[in-house]
Amino acid sequence: MKQMRQETIRRIISLVLLVVLIAIFTFTTDTFLSWDNIATMLRESAFVGIIAIGITGCIITGGNNLSGGYALGMICMVFAHLYHYTSLSLIAIILICLLAGLVSGAFNGFVVSILQINDFVATLSTGMIFQGITYILAIRNQYGSITSEMIKNPTILSLGGKFSNGIFYVTIVWLVMTLIMQLVLKKTKIGTYIYAMGSNRKSAEYSGISFIKIKMVVFIIAGFCSFVGAMFMLGRLGTCDVDTGAALSLQAISATVIGGAVFSGGRGDMIGTFIGVLIMQVLRNGVLKYGLTTAQQSIISGIIIVLMLVFDAYYNEYMQKRTTRAAAIAREKEGK
Amino acid sequence: MNEKLKNNPVMKVLLGNSRLIVLLIMVVVFTVLTSGKFFTYKNLINILYAVSLYGIMITGAAFAVLVGGIDRTVSGNAALSGAVVAMTILTRGVGGGNVALAIFLGLGCGALSGLIHGLILSRFNIPAFLLTLATNEVLYGIVQFVTGNQLIYIRECALMDYIGQVRWLGIPIPVYIMIACVIFSYIVLNHTVYGRQIYSVGGNRISSELSGVPARRDILIAYIISGFMGALAGFVLSSMNQQASSTQAKNYENDVLAAIVVGGVSMRGGSGTIQGAILGAFLIGVIGNGMTLIGVDAIYHNMIKGLIIIAAISIDMASVPGSPLNNFLRKFKKKKA
Amino acid sequence: MSENKELLFEMKNIEKIFSHVHALDHVNFDVRKGEVHALLGENGAGKSTLIKILTGVYTKDGGQIYMDGKEIEINSREDAANAGIAVIFQELSLIPTLSVYQNILLGKEISKFGFISDSAEKKQIQDLIDHYGFPVKATDIVETLSVAQKQMVEILKALATDAKLIIMDEPTASLSSRESELLFKIINQLRDKGVSIIYISHRLEEVFNLSDRITILRDGKNAGVIEKEDIVPSEVVKMMIGKEVSESTASRTLKTSDAETVLEVKHLTHLGYYDDVSFEVKKGEVLVLTGLVGSGRTEVVRTIYGADPYDSGQILFEGKPIKPTISKSVTNGFGLIPEDRRTQGFSPLLSVTKNVALTSYDKIAKSGFVKASDEDKLGEKAVELTDLRPANPKVKVGDLSGGNQQKAVLGKWLTRDLKVILIDEPTVGIDIGAKDEIYNIIEGLASQGVAVLMVSSDIAEVLRVAHRILVMREGRVIKEFNDGVATQEDILLASSGYVENQEEA
Repeated sequence: MKQMRQETIRRIISLVLLVVLIAIFTFTTDTFLSWDNIATMLRESAFVGIIAIGITGCIITGGNNLSGGYALGMICMVFAHLYHYTSLSLIAIILICLLAGLVSGAFNGFVVSILQINDFVATLSTGMIFQGITYILAIRNQYGSITSEMIKNPTILSLGGKFSNGIFYVTIVWLVMTLIMQLVLKKTKIGTYIYAMGSNRKSAEYSGISFIKIKMVVFIIAGFCSFVGAMFMLGRLGTCDVDTGAALSLQAISATVIGGAVFSGGRGDMIGTFIGVLIMQVLRNGVLKYGLTTAQQSIISGIIIVLMLVFDAYYNEYMQKRTTRAAAIAREKEGK
Repeated sequence: MNEKLKNNPVMKVLLGNSRLIVLLIMVVVFTVLTSGKFFTYKNLINILYAVSLYGIMITGAAFAVLVGGIDRTVSGNAALSGAVVAMTILTRGVGGGNVALAIFLGLGCGALSGLIHGLILSRFNIPAFLLTLATNEVLYGIVQFVTGNQLIYIRECALMDYIGQVRWLGIPIPVYIMIACVIFSYIVLNHTVYGRQIYSVGGNRISSELSGVPARRDILIAYIISGFMGALAGFVLSSMNQQASSTQAKNYENDVLAAIVVGGVSMRGGSGTIQGAILGAFLIGVIGNGMTLIGVDAIYHNMIKGLIIIAAISIDMASVPGSPLNNFLRKFKKKKA
Repeated sequence: MSENKELLFEMKNIEKIFSHVHALDHVNFDVRKGEVHALLGENGAGKSTLIKILTGVYTKDGGQIYMDGKEIEINSREDAANAGIAVIFQELSLIPTLSVYQNILLGKEISKFGFISDSAEKKQIQDLIDHYGFPVKATDIVETLSVAQKQMVEILKALATDAKLIIMDEPTASLSSRESELLFKIINQLRDKGVSIIYISHRLEEVFNLSDRITILRDGKNAGVIEKEDIVPSEVVKMMIGKEVSESTASRTLKTSDAETVLEVKHLTHLGYYDDVSFEVKKGEVLVLTGLVGSGRTEVVRTIYGADPYDSGQILFEGKPIKPTISKSVTNGFGLIPEDRRTQGFSPLLSVTKNVALTSYDKIAKSGFVKASDEDKLGEKAVELTDLRPANPKVKVGDLSGGNQQKAVLGKWLTRDLKVILIDEPTVGIDIGAKDEIYNIIEGLASQGVAVLMVSSDIAEVLRVAHRILVMREGRVIKEFNDGVATQEDILLASSGYVENQEEA
């Protein structure tokens, strides 16, 4: 008999978790399921979600990316810096930001694939570098200390807006990007290669797929996601400071893992990550409704991440055992 | 190089450790660039003082790396221990007995946190990097909770005053504490069964287990040591600053990790020394201090540290046959020849 | 019939020399179109070297290769693939999380502007599958398939590249008998469609049933080519072993010992791995478990050591039942030389001394502290006992040659007071000189009264060291040789399933 795929079971588990969480918060709080709250949650999710799209690609190849949030912060600051200190046109500034995003991705790809440094350490280091650049570019007042810059450009500010039904633009962009990336993963050559590389690097390479090329592609996509996130972040905040985006990486990675991607690679997709981001956001928002302090929130969300990690590790181990065991028993039955 | 020079014991040490040479060169370069300001008694003590804190953390975190994991919670443990010590002293009033209780609780929190990490990481196949990234957030959350997000001043605690202010032979007490920790780690790693097992488990867990080594227990203990040392560093930091805060030691783990990596400890576990890691801390400390002295703005430091980590690992990777960088260097050499 | 078929592929006077030793000495080998051609030979006869030349892993040192009558050069995997040669790997090389059709077309997708045309791909592969009638679907995800089905996907992958010659190296090693039957059906279909197959297997029964011809190699030379009609099993085995081999290495006088029993296993069962295994090992005795890879030998040994679980049965040590765990085993005086020394045997970054001392800290450490001089003594002792080279215990084990690495692993246990040593395939990938030294060490252990339980597939090795021999097949002990003379022929026939045909001694 054919077994249900690990992914399918995992998808069901995360969907059930999402529904249960929503149900709990709906019944225990008054404001959770209001339209306003939903719109806000979807906006907050979108920023984490856009970064998570990039990270999911990296994780499927068997890697990781801790620098996504810092890259976003850096791109915001590139924008603010050019906006404040130069008289470049908006288009030119945006193009430079796009370039910054792509280059940050290519640099990650270079460090991971050509210098062959472990993805965690590599992207931690590049994250530090991006953060350093953010500080260097930061806007300073006449006394030389860092201030935040108000961005008054209406075009950029309009990115923070919403449709008449209350849904923010960024939410739609997140949704569209998720669908496009899902399409890329499932329907294109490069998507197939991304899975192949993460699932069995050796045989992928025997089939003529280049490790360096695939790593470059996923990190450049992640860089592009940081760029998109940065533009909408500017639109939403109307300003940026040196800490913008710093917390996003961890949230996005956690969401990706909760969504079913596995660090050893080859598993996970954008839909899973989408669900993962929603789970994280529902949790965050729901907990907020209980009137908890930020300290309590970060404790709770951290513990939930740990529990998810432990659950995932246990679950993968269990599935592995189950598969070998089932194969052995099948052998036993058919053997004689 | 002639034979006599090669056999000279000083030269032997130098030749065996390229990082020591780099460190010495750095010292000379900064001394020249700052026209001697770098190489003053006061500045050298400054460097020692600054490095001592990282040094204490490294003596613990190195265990986690050597055994094949990683521990980013050294900073969270430091913050937690600082906060617990401060709160205990505050709520119990100042007195000798209560300071002992405070220290016991503070260091105990670190060891407990290490125990929990060890239990999870020795049992489950979870990337230690990610787990400790998440739990570090939890620890800081707990610290905020404990301190009520307030800066807590520790006044009139004689012992902490003493640690923070007094110098023996002109050298601050934290430096002595670091030296004691280094000696402790050195002895454990080099002269005990446990130390041998750490290297063995880090190098090949399966073969170690088949040889009867209790790998899970060893990993557990490594994280407990790491947690304890982080907490000790937090206590020292609180003594230095006479305060505890909810952001205490934040991001120190990056420098600790950087020092360990730059010091030649393999991220894959099983190889590297505590001396090397401390040397790495001094390298980073010297570079940071030197850059400040020659007027490089502090905002560049993070970036430079990031580059140094990448460079240090790349150099190690370049010597691994088959890696792209190694292939590239070989081709380059061939072309030249 | 088959004689009339034209030649597809021919290798003439192939030579391969490894450090002055002729691994292949003017070997000739040819394959006709639509033929299943088996390649037989003992371990080390040159089969795998020949296949590696054929697939571009090694380059030949002499001779010619012809495909369809034209001379070709094979210097890389690509050359082999371009020539229409494909290998079904023992370790499956598929991407587990992708579907069958994605795997088959990996790197050769049907696409427009980077977008894959799923329907075209599925149709092409499903057509291919239907053409051969394989029991898989194009859209199945590989990880949900059975081992046999995965193998079919590998075969399909080869067929999709228009391979004319498919090499199957021990394809039934991890298949159940029903799955094997299916594979044989497929092989017959392929032959009928004109595909040629080189078939390598230790299971003589299936070789004899399947093959149109058999080429036998011995010591790197051709030992004979036999047409299907002329196959006589015992003759083939004689050709594999060689008539001129002296009695002493081709057979062994076994002896049952009346010493006390150290280790006893009763009805040990681990569902799916081995079933109802019983035996005893006496003091100073070498008991060898032989049989084919995958027959459950390794699992039995690992269970006794406490590294794997079991479902039922009993393990007795010195007459008392035990529930083994690794640490208890080590304290009881057990030692294990694991199957794959590289991943399970040693810490490559540590010196011989440190590796050796790892098992002995309970003896040399004082309240947890270690004196380097005590370790050095152990390291030196290990070097001396195993004649390890270079004779320097400070060398990292990862830097040693295979044979010396194995000596270092042996050294871990030799320096302890052993009662039982479990040894799993001790000489795989080790050169002949070092092999002999390792046998001497094993014999030395036995003469000191250690009970030795060894797993080996190398029949020459089995006959060299065994006091008694158990043959395992599909998880069961199917034959015991405990006294009288055992010959290479007996063991070979027993492990490949010919027990029934043998006259019992």
